[in-house]
Amino acid sequence: MAEEQARPAKENAEENKIHLTIVTPRGVKFTEKADMIIMRCVDGDLGVLPGHAPLTAALGDGIFRIFNNGVEKKLAVFGGIAEIDDRTVNIYSTIAQRPEEIDRERAEMDRREVEATILEESEEHQVRRLRVLLHHALIRIEVSSHLEEAEYLKYEEEKEDDE
Amino acid sequence: MSSLKELKQRIANVSSTQQLIKAMDIVASTKLQRVRTQLERVRPIYRQLKRIVEEAGREEAARAHIFYAGREAKNSLYIVLTSDRGFSGGYNANIVAKALDHMNQGKNERILVVGSKGYEFFKKRGKNIIRKIIDLPDAQVYYGAEAIANWVIDLYRTGEVDEVFIAYTHFVNVLSYVPCVERLLPVVTGDKPPLVWSERKYEPDLATFIDNTIPLYLHMSLFRAFSEAHTCEQAARMISMDEAGKNAEEMLEELTSMYNRKRQAAITQELSEIFGSTTILHKGGDHGS
Repeated sequence: MAEEQARPAKENAEENKIHLTIVTPRGVKFTEKADMIIMRCVDGDLGVLPGHAPLTAALGDGIFRIFNNGVEKKLAVFGGIAEIDDRTVNIYSTIAQRPEEIDRERAEMDRREVEATILEESEEHQVRRLRVLLHHALIRIEVSSHLEEAEYLKYEEEKEDDE
Repeated sequence: MSSLKELKQRIANVSSTQQLIKAMDIVASTKLQRVRTQLERVRPIYRQLKRIVEEAGREEAARAHIFYAGREAKNSLYIVLTSDRGFSGGYNANIVAKALDHMNQGKNERILVVGSKGYEFFKKRGKNIIRKIIDLPDAQVYYGAEAIANWVIDLYRTGEVDEVFIAYTHFVNVLSYVPCVERLLPVVTGDKPPLVWSERKYEPDLATFIDNTIPLYLHMSLFRAFSEAHTCEQAARMISMDEAGKNAEEMLEELTSMYNRKRQAAITQELSEIFGSTTILHKGGDHGS
C-alpha cells in the first residue's frame, strides 16, 4: 500500500502517455512511450496527443517524429497504416528505419543519381517514380542526420512552429 | 559368386544415395529454420492488417467500394503456390488437388501459378494459365509479392477478373500443413452486420484510405502466403528426407546382413570343398600305400 501511495504522481504521468508500437514484416520493430507523435499521412502531417479519438489513417512517406520527455526521435516511415486509439498508436508499415539503420552513403548516392536522371528523363511516369525515390532518399538523409547530432536535441516548441 | 558382387554394388549404391538424402535433409532443415522465422515475423502484421481491412469493410460506405462490393463472378483468378522441386512428399499434390477442387465448382478460372510442379500439373489438364512464375529466388519473394499484388489489383480494377483466390498451404507445425483456398478480392468481411455509425474515423477519408490500404494488405497477404507455402515445402521435404534416410538405413542393414550371410556361406562351402578334397586325397594316399 505504502508503495502505491508513494508513486501516484509518477504513475499518472506514465499513464498519460501514448503507447507506440511499430510493426513491420520483420516483426515488432519498435515499442516506445511518447508524449506526442507527428506522422506523415497521405495528405499531410498528423499530430497525435494522448486521448486522441479513434482514428485509422493511411500513412505517406515521411519522417515519423516521437516526442518523449522533451526528447525527439525521428524514424523514416514509408507508407503503411496508423491505428490510433485513446492511449495507443499502432503503426503497420513495410519500412520503418531508425537513424542508425540508414545507409547514409547509399541515400546520398540515390539522391545524386536521381537528381541527375530527372533532368534527362522526359517520360512522365518515369519522372514520377524517380521523384518518389528522391523523396525517400531525402527522408533517409534527414533522419540519419539526426543521428549525427549525437545527442537527441531538446525539443523546443518554437522550433517546431518554424517548420 | 556374381550375386556377392551384385550385393556389394547395391550396398555401395544405397549408401551413396543415403549420403545424398542426408545432405538434402540438412539443407531443408536449415532452410526451414530461416523461412520459419520469416513466417513468424510476417504473421502479426498480416493478421493486424486483415483485422483493419475487415473492420473498414464493416463501414456502410465501404460496402460500395470496388474492393469490397462483390460483382457477378465471370472470371476468377487463382494464385496457386507450389514448389519448384520435388522430394517433398504429398505437398504439391495436396495443394493442386485442393485448388482444382475449388475451380471445379463452376468457376471460370484463370491461373497464376507459382512453381514448376503446379505449372506442369495445370498444363497437363489444359487449364487456363495466364501467368507462371518459376524459380523465384528466395531473396526476391518480398518484392515479387509486391509486384504481383499490383498486377492483381490492375486485373481486378480493369474488370478482367472479378474474384481473386489464393491457394497455399498453411503451416501449422512441422508435421501438419493444411492446404487452403482463400478469397483475397473482393475482401471477405465476415458475417458481421454493417456499421451504420462508428466512432472510428478514417483519414483522409474512407475511400482514399481503402485505396491506400488494400495494396499493402494484398502485398502482406501474398508475402505471408508465400512464406507459409515455403515453410511447408521445406518442412515436408525435411520429413520425407528423414523418412527416406530411415528407409535407406534399414535397407543397408538388410543388405549388409545378407551380404555377410552369403559371404559366410561361400566360405563354408569353400572350406567344406577343401576338406572334402583333402579327405579324398588322404584316403587315396592311404589306398595307394
